[in-house]
Amino acid sequence: MHLPYLALEANAPLPSPSAVVEHGRILLADQAASEAGVTQGVGVAAARMLAPTIALLMREPAREAAALQRLACWAGGLTPKISLTADTLLLEIGSCLRLFGGVRNIVRAAAKGVREQGFSLTCAVAPTPLGAQWLAQTAKSACCLDAESLHRHLAGLPISVLPDKAAQALARFGARTLGGVRRLPSAALARRIGAPALQLMARAFGEIADPRPAFVFPEQFALVLQLPAAVDNAGALLFAARRLTAALAGWLSARQAGVRAMALHLRQRQGETLLSLEFAELTADEERFERVLRERLNTLTLNSPVESLALVATTVAALAGRSQTLFDDASSGNEAIAPLLERLCARLGEEQVYRVVAHADHRPECATRRTGPFDKSAKVGQPAPGTGQGLARPLWLLDAPESLREVDGRPFRGGPLQLLAGPERIESGWWDGGEQQGDLRRDYFIALASDARWLWIYRECRSPAHWYLHGVFA
Amino acid sequence: MKTALSLADILARPDVWCADRLAPSPLPTLASGFAPLDGELPGGGWPRATLAEILVDGSGLGECSLVLPALGRLRSEGRWSLLIAPPHRVNGPAWAAHGVDLTRLAVVAPARPRDALWAAEQALASGALGSLLLWAPCVDAAQVRRLQVAAAGSNTVAFLFRPARAQSESSAAGLRLLLSAAARGSLAVNLLKRRGPPCTRTLIIEPQRPLCENDKSHEFHDSGPAVAGFASAVSGARSQRTLAFA
Repeated sequence: MHLPYLALEANAPLPSPSAVVEHGRILLADQAASEAGVTQGVGVAAARMLAPTIALLMREPAREAAALQRLACWAGGLTPKISLTADTLLLEIGSCLRLFGGVRNIVRAAAKGVREQGFSLTCAVAPTPLGAQWLAQTAKSACCLDAESLHRHLAGLPISVLPDKAAQALARFGARTLGGVRRLPSAALARRIGAPALQLMARAFGEIADPRPAFVFPEQFALVLQLPAAVDNAGALLFAARRLTAALAGWLSARQAGVRAMALHLRQRQGETLLSLEFAELTADEERFERVLRERLNTLTLNSPVESLALVATTVAALAGRSQTLFDDASSGNEAIAPLLERLCARLGEEQVYRVVAHADHRPECATRRTGPFDKSAKVGQPAPGTGQGLARPLWLLDAPESLREVDGRPFRGGPLQLLAGPERIESGWWDGGEQQGDLRRDYFIALASDARWLWIYRECRSPAHWYLHGVFA
Repeated sequence: MKTALSLADILARPDVWCADRLAPSPLPTLASGFAPLDGELPGGGWPRATLAEILVDGSGLGECSLVLPALGRLRSEGRWSLLIAPPHRVNGPAWAAHGVDLTRLAVVAPARPRDALWAAEQALASGALGSLLLWAPCVDAAQVRRLQVAAAGSNTVAFLFRPARAQSESSAAGLRLLLSAAARGSLAVNLLKRRGPPCTRTLIIEPQRPLCENDKSHEFHDSGPAVAGFASAVSGARSQRTLAFA
């Protein structure tokens, strides 16, 4: 896949019109700028005159290389064998054809993915890497699946794909296309244009082997994305972060791993904001990353614009394959609960979404503990021994016990309360000091209110012996 | 000459619906555990893919005990239950004693009612839950309609608890029940709306109460001079209790 506008699109998002400058001259301009007349080779001053609002950027090969690396990581989701050149991505798809269901599907998926990340490309398929590279560079999106069609397509290529010196020499002979060059006698040709050029042609036509260095996926995923201008808008940050999450998804796919926790560093001029995202289980799903990221970015407030983003995958582990269920049964819902809880946590915060677990303590307030929704390590708590013999426990406990009036010696709440069962003495927590801190000595009763509600009330054993409402039987 | 069709033949056709027949529900219903209620509910139990609105004033009348036997049945399916905006704190051991699996129970207690409705919609739309209980003291008809639409796309058993004054408002929920206290600790259930003919009679349901009928082990007895003032109340309560649960 050849990216002709890589120098321009590596800096994204960009205002339009914009152009990339090298050595004082315009190298590449986008659609709007070229319509205004800013083309390759025009000087900077002339460009500003033609399009006053143009945004000019210096060419940075490092940024382009980083963009290509991100794309290579993303392409790990398509195939593990990738090779890079200066502005071309070579993917070996012969081994993945059956998974994707044919050449067309894989090419379409690849092109769509690259375009979604904001790059424009031309692609070609060929049995040899150099042949595919040349075909893509000359914007002939050809699909050659065997040697014969490859020869046919390559024969039609102009000689400009060869190195400059050889191309000039060949032009003097009158050869215009590679097909014409092949018809010339090879021994004499080698003397005139040199053996390397002939070797290149032989590699392209598949006559000699063309080994390429494979792209090595980094061991740890930590990619940085430099933003061309400081951004303080959540939507634009999400668009930029999407490139990073796409690369992460591809990297995970190439390594057959899943991520459980990752951190997004938002680097500002002074300081850095850290967003750490956690998932309930190992996942490699790009949509889940994006959903959780969107919720978190919506609720984030920044005190200064962000200049660069860095995504680091902190907890990565191998992901076991999962087989599909043959029939749609109820157990398939178990996997869907984790994304739901993640989404609720991301929007509402960790303290508003929780699970409860029973704890061995006689004190009713302490018998229930809250745990995080993803906390699998919390053991299933056991109730305190001996609670089975006591009174039944209410379903709801008030946050703080409500003090009840005493009228005629009976507790009163909208009417005299009728005591039905009790007293059950609960004394515990002597290690805490005082009633407020948790040293309880209470007599619990089940009471029926005059409006037919069932209440759980208690009376303190220490003086002053007030009555309190602690729970409601629903 | 055409043969005359008998009325019975016409009624037996599948495209004719009699107004006194309860609508069949496409998904298997969840038995509520109370026989009089199951007899009146379409499908013989709590419906899935429909919002069931329970109108009750406050808490403590037994509205959760009405629903909990069904939740205990979901335990065998291994699906999750979600409580959204509960009125008080959840007392874990009590819910576990009623048969709910605490490892598959999650609670969402947002600060704003708007967040509670959003969470309910997301939960219903995801289809990941076996049951959902939502407490919404002030919710309008449009929001109820949205919840009903969200519930229709999943096979979750969804309960919405609202105050009893909402009985005069129209609602898009597929099932509406009004609860009030009846004599002797039982619950009076009025089916305000169901998929089928309107239910004219009031059902009396006996939910599980903290005291059982012959539970003499927890008889109320006074514990000394500190509660001497209760003597008259005690005898009154005891005799009343034996009458009440006879």
